[in-house]
Amino acid sequence: MADRFAAPDYGVLAALVVFVVASIALAVYAQRATQKGSFLSSYFLGNRGLGAWALALTATVQSGGTFMGYPALVYSHGWIVGLWIASYMVVPITGFGLLAKRLAQLSRRSGAITVPDLFRERFDSPAAGVVSSLLIIVFMTFMMVAQFKAGASIMKVVWPNAAVAVDAADGTAPATDLKAEATSKSTTTGGLSHDQFLFYLGLVLFTITVVGYTMVGGFLAAVWTDLFQSVLMWLGVMLLLGLSMYQLGGIGNLTPGAVAQTSPQFAYGPGYSTDGRQFLTPGLAFSVFFVWVFGGLGQPASLVRLMACKDTQTIRRSVLLLAVYNSMIYLPLIFICMAARAAMPTVPVADEVIPRMALWTTRDLPGGSLLAGLILVAPFGAVMATVSSYLIVIASGLVHDVYQRFINPKATERQLQSWTYAVMVLVGIVAIVANLKPVAYLQAIVVFCGSSCASSFAVPALMTAFWRRATAPGVIAAMLAGAGMSLTLLVLGSLCMDDQMLGPKTNFRSYYLLGLEPIVWGLLASAITGVVVCLCTRPPSAKRIAWLFDAA
Amino acid sequence: MVAPTTEDPVLRSARREAVVAALVWAIALTYTVGGSILYGYRDGAEPVRYVYGVPDWAVWFIVLPWGASLVVSWWFAYCWMTDEPLGEEHDQEVPSDGR
Repeated sequence: MADRFAAPDYGVLAALVVFVVASIALAVYAQRATQKGSFLSSYFLGNRGLGAWALALTATVQSGGTFMGYPALVYSHGWIVGLWIASYMVVPITGFGLLAKRLAQLSRRSGAITVPDLFRERFDSPAAGVVSSLLIIVFMTFMMVAQFKAGASIMKVVWPNAAVAVDAADGTAPATDLKAEATSKSTTTGGLSHDQFLFYLGLVLFTITVVGYTMVGGFLAAVWTDLFQSVLMWLGVMLLLGLSMYQLGGIGNLTPGAVAQTSPQFAYGPGYSTDGRQFLTPGLAFSVFFVWVFGGLGQPASLVRLMACKDTQTIRRSVLLLAVYNSMIYLPLIFICMAARAAMPTVPVADEVIPRMALWTTRDLPGGSLLAGLILVAPFGAVMATVSSYLIVIASGLVHDVYQRFINPKATERQLQSWTYAVMVLVGIVAIVANLKPVAYLQAIVVFCGSSCASSFAVPALMTAFWRRATAPGVIAAMLAGAGMSLTLLVLGSLCMDDQMLGPKTNFRSYYLLGLEPIVWGLLASAITGVVVCLCTRPPSAKRIAWLFDAA
Repeated sequence: MVAPTTEDPVLRSARREAVVAALVWAIALTYTVGGSILYGYRDGAEPVRYVYGVPDWAVWFIVLPWGASLVVSWWFAYCWMTDEPLGEEHDQEVPSDGR
């Protein structure tokens, strides 16, 4: 059993540098691919040419959380987290089967390049475009600022001999190894502690890298880096699974070993805890089938990738590819975390469990540091790809949906390009400034904004695709009702109510009305409001409906 | 009701696929969540029952349906979904929304 934790050395940093260089190379290659066609269509939508691999492995919910937040929950609460993530088994079918074909067709027929574009053209309503633009820009800016902190934190921990410490799930200050903490306190650089210095260095390097390569390659750079990190993540999980089983003596020893370090409750619901918290009550178990399925479906960054797919054959292949990929990521991670709990029962910050396992299982192997590096760059890549895709969505929203629509409809390609670059640099600067005092509750902000996006856009997207009677006021009302419900439950949970001792522990929490996840209420509010307002307002023009719903 | 002859064939097939996708989701939810609630929620007082080192309820209600979902995904993608042309991109000048 591990009695001390390993620290990264130069091999890990080398792996990170290789990953960054590879991402920049992909961006340069992407730039060549985007030189065909108009700037907007190629830079923000990759000329609608996404293939099956790119679509399958990048269009649904996969981020740094897959490699950090989720393993932390398995490590903390046990096998019940398998039920928490189980809806991922149907995400390939729902993610592509519910909307992909129709959205891809509608966006082509209407010429839509962005999600607000789609709403605007479908309903012939600038208001629908503006409301969706504003919601997207607000939610995604918050999510993105939080992700910059995650990127900087990972850069900090891969620094040779740095403490392995990233943000706790509840947003509290990260714990560090005592030895490393003592070192950080004794060393200062320009008035900053060693730890702070590494964080700010990581923040600046991360920002330059991610803004730089996104500027160069646009949408395709974001997608290809996402694909690259997805493959790395798969490779990392397979390696770590093999190493964990080798170290613990086979798959049959993993869960019993973890149970021996905790209690039999580690194998059952509602999950193991030391403070009486019920991680997954039956009500929450029911809710999570909405969280992952609609959470993926309602993300603007996911919707835009569906719009960008090449053809229907691509969509079909993506279903199977993603199904295989998900089963080879999420189930093995449970076994790895069981091994971690058995081998390292007292990891101080649960979010560190994968980095620590990577370092621990490779500590005695020749070239183990590089191997650990390979495993550790996967979450970094995931965060980088997430930030890159958000940058694209925010830039397209500001440049196409605001600047081109409202300020300068006759803008030339060169002007659009210049504004896009300027917006990206500006967003990078805002992210750095916002993280000078690092945001707290990182994971919780990401979850809240993700749920709010899903509550705002999942129902309107379904109405847009399939319901002839849907109207612009109805869809706007559905968006606002979903966002409003999310915000109301957040205010109730964080400011007005005591901790219900349900779900993950965090101070930035929503209220679980009737024990259900907020997204369930958000979707319900969005659906009811949307349908009622649609039926109470004037039907859309028959000509537009025929154009978008009938055979050409 | 729209006459089948006028409705866009891509819309028709997309709706048919969406209905089945929603059904698959509902069945997975019912089986996985229902079974797990019935058999996977215990007070931890009794010893854990394992199948190949995995808690028995997790084998039946998480691992097994996850395996089955691979087969269903294959069927959905290669037997149920159909290929259709998505159409040409409509090229239009961006209208001004400034008032």
